Amino acid sequence: MWLPIIGLLVGIGLGSTLAIPIPGIYAKYLSVALLAALDSVFGGLRSIIEDKFDGTVLLTGFFSNALLAALLAYLGDRLGVDLYLAAVFVFGVRLFQNLAIIRREMLANWMQKRQLSALEGKKGG
Amino acid sequence: MANLQRQTLKKWQAPLTLVLFLSGLLLVFSLRSMASSGTLPSRVQNENLANLIRSQESEIADIELDVSNRRDLLNTFQLNSAAGLQAMTYLQNNVKQQEVLAGFTEVEGPGLIISLDDNRKDAQNAETLNPGQFNPDDYLIHDRHLLYVVNDLRAAGAEAISINDQRIISSTEIRCAGNTILVNSTRLAPPYIIRAIGDPASLSGMLESPENEYNILKMSGFPVSEDAGQTVLVPAYKGSYQFSYATPQK
Repeated sequence: MWLPIIGLLVGIGLGSTLAIPIPGIYAKYLSVALLAALDSVFGGLRSIIEDKFDGTVLLTGFFSNALLAALLAYLGDRLGVDLYLAAVFVFGVRLFQNLAIIRREMLANWMQKRQLSALEGKKGG
Repeated sequence: MANLQRQTLKKWQAPLTLVLFLSGLLLVFSLRSMASSGTLPSRVQNENLANLIRSQESEIADIELDVSNRRDLLNTFQLNSAAGLQAMTYLQNNVKQQEVLAGFTEVEGPGLIISLDDNRKDAQNAETLNPGQFNPDDYLIHDRHLLYVVNDLRAAGAEAISINDQRIISSTEIRCAGNTILVNSTRLAPPYIIRAIGDPASLSGMLESPENEYNILKMSGFPVSEDAGQTVLVPAYKGSYQFSYATPQK
């Protein structure tokens, strides 16, 4: 349960200690890649809740989305069109959708558990 | 409920951990690059700055061009004014010279001072001796005498001549008007003092030449004299002088 969170913290810690100077021009590309990564994370969480988890899908989705988002942003810069906005919109929408689904499922589970415990309490009583 | 079952715990844990780890890295990196770039709309600001720089540079180029043009203009002006000054000085000198030659300035130099006067003594004698045939004109200095003397002086190379302080210039007339002679429309009375600047020897030689008027007057008994001793001062022409009819030919 906690392993993924530890993974996140390790990632942040490692990134902080690793003093790789990133040029400012890459800021936008990294930001959209981050957005794609977040979308993958939330998609993965949703799939776990819905019992449809597939590791391969998650990993491939993560890498391909992040790469495509960065590529789109770069292409947009070269063409002079803000193509990164496409990534922003899509991933943003999916983020909120996944979050809503996760929230509902967790709430439903929690309500179920409460009812169950309430029932068991009555039975056991 | 799925996330409570132990079977799937390991299934999803590994990939999710990896994904979150990478996301953590990405998060830190993007934050760092954002910090190094300064502000969020960095590209826009960079473009704005680049445009500003470009516009300023083009303005500078324009101003530099303007400066160089003005420098060239200044150069031309300086050259012209120097040439203009030269031309001015030359023209002024030329004008001065012309004035001197035309007789509009006072000049001095070696020459003769000639005096011609009416022959009053002989006139008186002639009148008393032979009143019937006395002709006073024979004993007066006439315009023709002055004209001939001036002509002789000119022939001898006189550069400036005046009669009784009236400068003789190219438009000067010498005419009889009753008892007086008009020179430059001014009435002159005897004795007529002629000042002439030139080579004293030539002037004197011309005057004394037997067939010339001065000599004739002298031989006729008129009280005439010539003096070469002093520096002769010939006054300037003080009248007006302009052409109403004559126009220059190109």
